[in-house]
Amino acid sequence: MPAESNLDNLMAQYQLGDFDAATALVETVSPQLHRFFLAQLISRTEADDLLQETWLRIHRVRHTYRQGEPVLPWLYAIARRVRVDHYRKTARTIAHHEVVEDLSTIAAPKLEDANHSEGLAAMLALLTESEREVIEMLKVMGMSLEEVARATSCTVGSVKQKAHRAYKKLRVTLGTAQLGNINKANKGRSEGLS
Amino acid sequence: MNDEQIDDVLKTAAPAPNALNPEMLRQIAESMKPTLGPLRPLPPNWVMSWGLVVICAAVAVAGAALKGFYGIEKMDALERALIFSVLLALAWAAASGLVQEMIPGSRRIVSSGTLLLIVTAGMAGLFALLFRDYQTTHFFSAGIACLVTGLLFALLAAVPAWLVLRRGFAVNPVSAGMAAGTLPCFAGLGMLELHCPNFQAAHVLVWHVAVIPCSAAIAMLAVWIWRRR
Repeated sequence: MPAESNLDNLMAQYQLGDFDAATALVETVSPQLHRFFLAQLISRTEADDLLQETWLRIHRVRHTYRQGEPVLPWLYAIARRVRVDHYRKTARTIAHHEVVEDLSTIAAPKLEDANHSEGLAAMLALLTESEREVIEMLKVMGMSLEEVARATSCTVGSVKQKAHRAYKKLRVTLGTAQLGNINKANKGRSEGLS
Repeated sequence: MNDEQIDDVLKTAAPAPNALNPEMLRQIAESMKPTLGPLRPLPPNWVMSWGLVVICAAVAVAGAALKGFYGIEKMDALERALIFSVLLALAWAAASGLVQEMIPGSRRIVSSGTLLLIVTAGMAGLFALLFRDYQTTHFFSAGIACLVTGLLFALLAAVPAWLVLRRGFAVNPVSAGMAAGTLPCFAGLGMLELHCPNFQAAHVLVWHVAVIPCSAAIAMLAVWIWRRR
């Protein structure tokens, strides 16, 4: 993760109209934002589109950043909003086309398949949208509780609560998957012996 | 499985940051260039918060000056002190919440919904404590007149408040709408307290307090309709 003080400087220069600082900011933060979008079970092309949309919005509202405030929560709050808007727009489009497929079966993988190798998406798909978001920011992006609270417009207490609930679900899910793997390994071993 | 093990699993499963197409990043930066110039920064939070409170107070006083200060004249000193100091404190809290709502990544103490609940419950509690006349004369006719007047003055306050806040609202416009509706209701409620001489508990508790949620609901609806266009 880029150093916060460096981001502060880049943001300050960007607000003053420095093109080089704007370019450096785009290059520094974009990989993190792209990763944030990718972790939400969307394609790379969609993540590219969302990244561009996010920068457009950041540029439009760059005056709302106050110098001295942390940059990352400000950026993620906007990125998060872009993602929510995209999700709503997609949901509306699907509704218009009267696609009757059950979305939950598309989004959520089978519980028993959620082992380590399935990747982050499979594990996080079992969580609610807000829990997934909190876990991503805390554990994948490495943000602090305070930063996540700011980015998601919640209180720190609410972030802690969501993380606690998410961990409770993950503990059960991963525990079950681990047990399944052990059983599978034992079965394979006994079949090999016979 | 313990929390540390879950942390490890999450870290292992997390996608590594991708090497992005440099051409795409260059295009993003280039798209900013034509409109890249020095910005006029937003005023400090406290300036905007007090600005909004002053707008609400000005609208309330102007409204009462137009229709008569019958309510405040009928109140005793304790009622005046309690009602207007609580109104001022809650208006300031709502204004601060609204200013935070318009700036992405701001520190949040309470959500807009909780703020609305606190304001409504606070005013209802105070009125229940102060007004002990339990008659219900002209409950609906007098009540609806007060509600409409309160909402009208809330709407009048919403226009200059929007002028102060129009440069913000980058994230969560519906929540911002709720906060934006909660704030101008103080202009309506303040005007009613200055003007309305009807101190029947039921009248004040139902119709005066109803200005708060109704104003917030109207603002939320307006933002929602605007967003769906």
